[in-house]
Amino acid sequence: MPGIDECLLEAMAVPGARGASLVDWTSGLALGTAGDSPVGDHETTAAETAELARSAAEFDSFVAEGDIPSDGPPVEDLIVTTRAGYHVIRFVETSFDSSVFLHLWLDRDTGNLALARIRLRDLAERLVLG
Amino acid sequence: MTAVATPVSPMLVRLAAERATGALLRDHGTLYLVDGRVVHAESPAAPGVDVLLTTGGRLPREGWDEAVDRAGAHRAVGRFLVDSGRLHDGELEICHLGAVFDAAFFALSPTSGPTRFRYGVGHWFGTVRPVSAEAVERETVRRRELLDAVWPYATVDSAPVVPRPAAPGQTVGARQRALLAAADGERTPADLARLLGRPAFHTLLDVRRLAAAGLVETPPEPDPQPDPGPVPPPQPLLAAPQVADPDIALLRRLRDALEAHL
Repeated sequence: MPGIDECLLEAMAVPGARGASLVDWTSGLALGTAGDSPVGDHETTAAETAELARSAAEFDSFVAEGDIPSDGPPVEDLIVTTRAGYHVIRFVETSFDSSVFLHLWLDRDTGNLALARIRLRDLAERLVLG
Repeated sequence: MTAVATPVSPMLVRLAAERATGALLRDHGTLYLVDGRVVHAESPAAPGVDVLLTTGGRLPREGWDEAVDRAGAHRAVGRFLVDSGRLHDGELEICHLGAVFDAAFFALSPTSGPTRFRYGVGHWFGTVRPVSAEAVERETVRRRELLDAVWPYATVDSAPVVPRPAAPGQTVGARQRALLAAADGERTPADLARLLGRPAFHTLLDVRRLAAAGLVETPPEPDPQPDPGPVPPPQPLLAAPQVADPDIALLRRLRDALEAHL
């Protein structure tokens, strides 16, 4: 797979997708965005989702729940369900030191959470593995 | 998207408006523009793409050197890394964008020195994913505000990082643990960034977060400024960062006495 923009375009092709972004969770920087933001500003959404992702990625309760040998990040994804939508945050594992995730915002009526999770996992892998 | 109220560099705003191509040289770094958009940035304060990629072993140093030798003259090192199969597009973009915003943060830091623009000068790394000058300015301002929102004491940014013992039950995430483990009492945040192969701003931010949590010493402010500027927000309870040498023994006795009465 090509770069960030193509990855976000594919994310927007997931049924029910309303907005997608690639975000650095240490700094809160949006590396790329597509579609809409729930608050009309992708940069605000990036900073807010980054705080959420950082907590999940760093708290021991999620990270140290057993010694399962794996190459992937300890936390794979986060799901936030709201009245009107779903947010799926998928951590992207790179082979250099980084802290990025894919965020996909879905419409609650037209989105399919199970499908979105699978597609996002696939996209996160292809973004860095080609 | 909101416009930057007070631009960090009026010259950058002007160059973006005239869609200039060249290098903007400032005291703490250089921004490279193509058609008014930022394509590269470097700063002595920020690890370059080479450090970020080679430190973790993603790319062997020889692989980087070969790319620079073969594609540097054509200003296409980034492209070469992908075309020769050493990196994937997504990795290159993630790493390079991170490095550009990182270096830009330091290059655009407040300075009294001259700002110059050399028209037509390009960078040998080549263009990967141009970003608008406005986005770079906005992000730089956001980063400054974020640092001060976390812990408004800039002295920790340049001082050697000195870890402090954790309070009972206090935990630290894996990335910050790695940072603390590398902090030997002499390395500054910039040294640690280079050692760990992380962007320098990320390291500054983590050090400020650790200082706010009381896990890293906050050195005292050097001299009271003649113009104090904005009043810092009230400090969290129990944090006493400006006290150079708190009497730990006294505090422990006090705590023990209080606990004895629970």
